[in-house]
Amino acid sequence: MPWITVTVIIFIYLFFVMFLGTWAGRGRESSVVEYIAASRNLGFVVMYFLMGGAIFSAFAYLGGPGWAYSKGAASFYILAYCALGLVPWWLWGPRAFRAGQKFHYVTQAQLFTDRFQSKALSVIIAVVSILAFVQYITLQMKGSAYVFEIASGGRIPFWAGALIAYVVVLIYVFYGGVRGVAWTNVFQGIFMVTIAWVLGLYFAFKLYGGPTEMFQQIAAANPTHLLVGPGSKMSFAAYSSALLVSVLGFAMWPHLFMKAYTAKSEKVIKQTIVLYPTFAIFLVPVLFIGFAGIMQVTPDVLGAPDRILPWMFIHMKFPAIIVGLVLAAALAAAMSTQDTITHAAGAIFAQDLVEPLKKEKHTDKEATMWIRISVVGFGAVSYLVAIFGGQTLVSLLLGAYGSIVQLLPLALATFFWPRATKAGAICGLLVGVLYNYGIVLHLIPKFWGIHAGIQGLVINFVVLIVVSLLTKPMDKEHVRKFVDL
Amino acid sequence: MNNNQESDGYGISVFKPGTPSREKTRGIIFFIVLCLIILVQAFYWLFANAVEPIVLGMPFGMFFIVLFIVIEFITLLIVYLTEEKDSTKGGSI
Repeated sequence: MPWITVTVIIFIYLFFVMFLGTWAGRGRESSVVEYIAASRNLGFVVMYFLMGGAIFSAFAYLGGPGWAYSKGAASFYILAYCALGLVPWWLWGPRAFRAGQKFHYVTQAQLFTDRFQSKALSVIIAVVSILAFVQYITLQMKGSAYVFEIASGGRIPFWAGALIAYVVVLIYVFYGGVRGVAWTNVFQGIFMVTIAWVLGLYFAFKLYGGPTEMFQQIAAANPTHLLVGPGSKMSFAAYSSALLVSVLGFAMWPHLFMKAYTAKSEKVIKQTIVLYPTFAIFLVPVLFIGFAGIMQVTPDVLGAPDRILPWMFIHMKFPAIIVGLVLAAALAAAMSTQDTITHAAGAIFAQDLVEPLKKEKHTDKEATMWIRISVVGFGAVSYLVAIFGGQTLVSLLLGAYGSIVQLLPLALATFFWPRATKAGAICGLLVGVLYNYGIVLHLIPKFWGIHAGIQGLVINFVVLIVVSLLTKPMDKEHVRKFVDL
Repeated sequence: MNNNQESDGYGISVFKPGTPSREKTRGIIFFIVLCLIILVQAFYWLFANAVEPIVLGMPFGMFFIVLFIVIEFITLLIVYLTEEKDSTKGGSI
């Protein structure tokens, strides 16, 4: 029974990860700074994988080949995006780090709230981030559920698969905190990358005699598949604006901001940025897997493009042990993202939403407990959405997902423009987010295929600047604190 | 750029007060180079929207993107190393 072997391998893998994650967080004190920011002392290797795990998600592992298969050259976007995503961080990563050290922040909203002296801002940011995170996690949960479904030949149903991955992640996030997340990501990262290379090259050589021959055959069969622009699956404007908005938005994700507080030093942050493009190189063979599928199966036989990776396995007659390892790697991709996000979402809910709305401040121990409760609650909500999510809910979440880039003007204003005021910040953010929702809900037409996020961003910047200039400047000594970091 | 010379202290402030001008120039140059790399990647189809020649087993467009990822990596490495060299003084873009 090959499916038993496959399932057993996956479960062994799950136990190992769970053990590693809880072990990493053992014997640490129970404080907010430790739980969210690992007492601000994570070193370079761990930091690198912590950041990498976030991008090496189910999207990259299952979606990447799916894009290569169905959209062709548009999938190159994934490479460029992964490589460039962290570059803008050079501007505010180290500054966020210094701010965290100086003013003891553990979340992104705390920084902006302090700069603009507004609890409302904290609540808006928390709500947007949490909705965006639910969307993000739901994708990962579906990815893991899918892995279980294939591994067991349909014997583990969708709901159970999502539940298993959720529980495992929950256990080590609950006990291990960011340290547990970080150490499992080191392991899962190395594992995924190895599997991806072996597989991508294997398919190209086995089925076509090499990548060059593979691409020649694809180009001969479908001349526009490896191009963008007219006649292909993505227009020029769509490609360029999607890449720009992703690069600008990537470093605004609240969990990345939180990671700036986990670093031991500024040096660690910069080292991470320098080495981050290497993750994009690791993704190249993942795309090969998708390209390799083009001549093997037609889209109508396949159903959804995301099924290409699993499909390739079932039809390649691999031994059960290999299938188990590959599926475990796909699961690792999903889980390494899920843990980071679950952790961040719990922290944001407790720190940025509950904390500002409470009259008395929690003690450190209570606050950590609150985060743990939020982690569990958030996971449960995402799980329910993954299983039952309806259309309205999905567009609500998608809107939030696209709204994260709207935090960019706040970051720039905090660190570089002391004249920005509370009113300007709130108005800009609200307009940007609402505009984005307008497009997602089809209330506003999309211009020339340009990404909604870019359009919202332009309006957001204009509103921030105009409203700030119309309102009274904030206390000089206060605002200079953030500029002179 | 340095708001120290500005009267009201509310102007756009990119560098820490007291950053030496050599470091500022360098910061601006690196900033521009990285912006150019981002733009080249975003508009890669202007330069390399082609399948042939296939280089290192990748269609030309894909190879071009990977090439620029390598260039980006080298640039970041240079930025990092030069900044480390005089990190004792602090102050960087």
